[in-house]
Amino acid sequence: MPLEAEEVKALRLQWALSRALVVPVSLVVAAVARLHFGYRLDDEIGRIRAEIWAKLDAHDGPVIWAANHLTLIDSFLVYWAVFPTNRLIEDRRIPWSTPEYTNYYKLGGPVQSALIRGLLYLCRCIPFLRGGEDAASETWRQKAFDKCAWVLREGGAVFVYPEAGRSRSGWLEPKRPKDFLGKLALEVPNTKFLCVYLRSDRQISTTAAPPRGDRLRLVADLIDGALPGETNARDISQRLFDRLAEMQREWWKGSDMARNCAGNDVVDLKGPLLRENFSDDLTEADESWLDRHLTRKELAYLDSLGPANLFRGFWRFFCAKEACHKALGRAVIVVPNGAFHEIEVDLFRRKATHIPTGLQLDIRFTDDDEDKLHCVAVLRGGWIGDETAEGDVLWSVAAVPSGTSPGAFVRDLALDMIAASNDEIETSSRLALTENSGLPGVLWRGEPQDWSLSLSHSGRYAAASFMIS
Amino acid sequence: MAFMRKQAVVEAVDVNTLTPEDTEKRITAGVKKYATNEANYAAADANTPYLGHIVGMGIESSNLADITMSIERQFLTKMTVKTPVSEGSAEFKLTAGELGKLRILDGQDALAATPGLSVKMLMDLGHMPKNDAYLEKVMSFAYVMATGDGWKMADALKKMAGKAEKLAGAERAEALANLKTLVAQAKDYDALLADAAKLAASKGKAYNNDKAGFDALTTELNLTLDKIKGVSAGGDAAALAKLRGEEAEIRTRLKMSAAKLRVSQEVSEAAGKRRAVEDAQVAKVRAALQEAVTLAEKLS
Repeated sequence: MPLEAEEVKALRLQWALSRALVVPVSLVVAAVARLHFGYRLDDEIGRIRAEIWAKLDAHDGPVIWAANHLTLIDSFLVYWAVFPTNRLIEDRRIPWSTPEYTNYYKLGGPVQSALIRGLLYLCRCIPFLRGGEDAASETWRQKAFDKCAWVLREGGAVFVYPEAGRSRSGWLEPKRPKDFLGKLALEVPNTKFLCVYLRSDRQISTTAAPPRGDRLRLVADLIDGALPGETNARDISQRLFDRLAEMQREWWKGSDMARNCAGNDVVDLKGPLLRENFSDDLTEADESWLDRHLTRKELAYLDSLGPANLFRGFWRFFCAKEACHKALGRAVIVVPNGAFHEIEVDLFRRKATHIPTGLQLDIRFTDDDEDKLHCVAVLRGGWIGDETAEGDVLWSVAAVPSGTSPGAFVRDLALDMIAASNDEIETSSRLALTENSGLPGVLWRGEPQDWSLSLSHSGRYAAASFMIS
Repeated sequence: MAFMRKQAVVEAVDVNTLTPEDTEKRITAGVKKYATNEANYAAADANTPYLGHIVGMGIESSNLADITMSIERQFLTKMTVKTPVSEGSAEFKLTAGELGKLRILDGQDALAATPGLSVKMLMDLGHMPKNDAYLEKVMSFAYVMATGDGWKMADALKKMAGKAEKLAGAERAEALANLKTLVAQAKDYDALLADAAKLAASKGKAYNNDKAGFDALTTELNLTLDKIKGVSAGGDAAALAKLRGEEAEIRTRLKMSAAKLRVSQEVSEAAGKRRAVEDAQVAKVRAALQEAVTLAEKLS
């Protein structure tokens, strides 16, 4: 939909004003990042900038900046990291941003709000409204899209987060591409994507800003937008998400944090101790005991399942919480033993939330029968999989032979499973279990592996899981 | 409702009439049916962890709440009056009143990992008088965790050495490479346990993570309050209600984050303060680690 003449005029005015003030605004952004927040840029920022600008110089067309999104100030940080001061005269390369209207445009009292709006105006912002399904919201989004397309047709650059919001798991998931950028690339065919994966060293979850004093490391690349003959927006978006996912892996190679964070839990539903807080027919339960484990939302969901599903429903919640507890432990987020309310599980959406950090995990029940439950949870590092596509988590559930220690059995089970799933390993004797940092891990060729091994046993069953991503 | 638990009805006793030692015995007896490691349970003392199989009682996490509820069932207390933590707050604490059922509120049992720490919890919450002589014998939560990790590491190393011994050729060479790494990890951990200041610094990392999380959440709350201020002027009732919901959610998160921070702060501080009881337990774990290292080094 073409823009009205008035709208084009307004955009041209905004462009002209921001051009006039680009140097002081950019210097303020850099000064606040350095002096107020104490951030440092990647040790190799010179090389990264040189490489990316060599590619930008070789491309004469418009550019869509596409970056991962974890904090409310990512746009400023990405801009600061990628755009050196000596390039500020290259006006058309300075990106227009698309901040969420509800996050930025009504902050504080009238004076503060006006100042922020002024700053955003000068930073070439096109306010975006992500929420709302009503006609007005849809029109707003379409208008924002049209403005972005106009900027690109003028040879400019726009900055849009492909995930359409901050990642609640702290992980960019390539299996869930959004079409917006694909559509934009189709609209302006000679556009390229400037992909940026930027994250501070200690950024674990979605926050307002990275931890103060952190180093910001980044990986950047310039890739094609729509290829000749390409007409499907989803294909283009998928290519973009795949490239960002590769860059994400590259970023994590240089990180001290574990990339793969998954956990598992098994519950033997016939275990007598599991029944003692339930009535004999398992249709009622001690309410104070339920309260200790489940949040209000979870209790409401359990109630909706009806008495016949009370027992199984409760243990499904429990099993998922335990799996999440282990996945979070990998990310050095310790959920104290017994703090069941810290993790809220949504069995319907197959999601769980760690309430103090807001981190979201995916959950999946791999075994759900009369005898047992087995759940895996993934915070980051790979895809959990579903009915249609296998994921990056492998697992094994087995009965513990009588007279065998479940702890020893599950460790052997884990190593056998890993060896059997990798042609290079062949036999579990080439592997060793380590308990460094209080978490189970695997050694292969003398090196610790980032496989997020998780072990569990309950009554007659033992289960192990690990990630192959 | 016929709960199976009713098979073992216990008569609750005023916890103030008991010595800490008797309270500990009752607590230990109350968890007997959940203990899957009978040998460790039989030898349990104030510092035996409820969880874990190597030195712990082998209680499974599915029975964690049962430990707390078992304590609640066994004791009576005068701390029974619900009092708001602050004026208008939905949160409450328990203050002195008539003798009644003991209640342990959400999060209050976060550090009660052993019978001794459960008794300490009752003392800290004012259900029974503080007894310094008893507490001198109770290992801190920080050291229960630190020594627990040491036991697991020593056990893994011993088992791996046992496996490697039976292998030959290329398999043995690979197993020895893994064993070498395990030995290095065990030595590092032994050195960490030997130095309370180093251990405190390592636990301080978890505290710093939690502190960063807490600070980030405080920033989020301030931002939401700013948004509320901005929207209030415009009179958009729906947007305001949504933001109020966000505010309530962040306050809940902040409350949990603060509780978590208290735990990691206590762990970080306690790791640097080593008393005779912790010294003795640390010495045992270090001996086990060193023994496992010696065994493994004989193979290479």
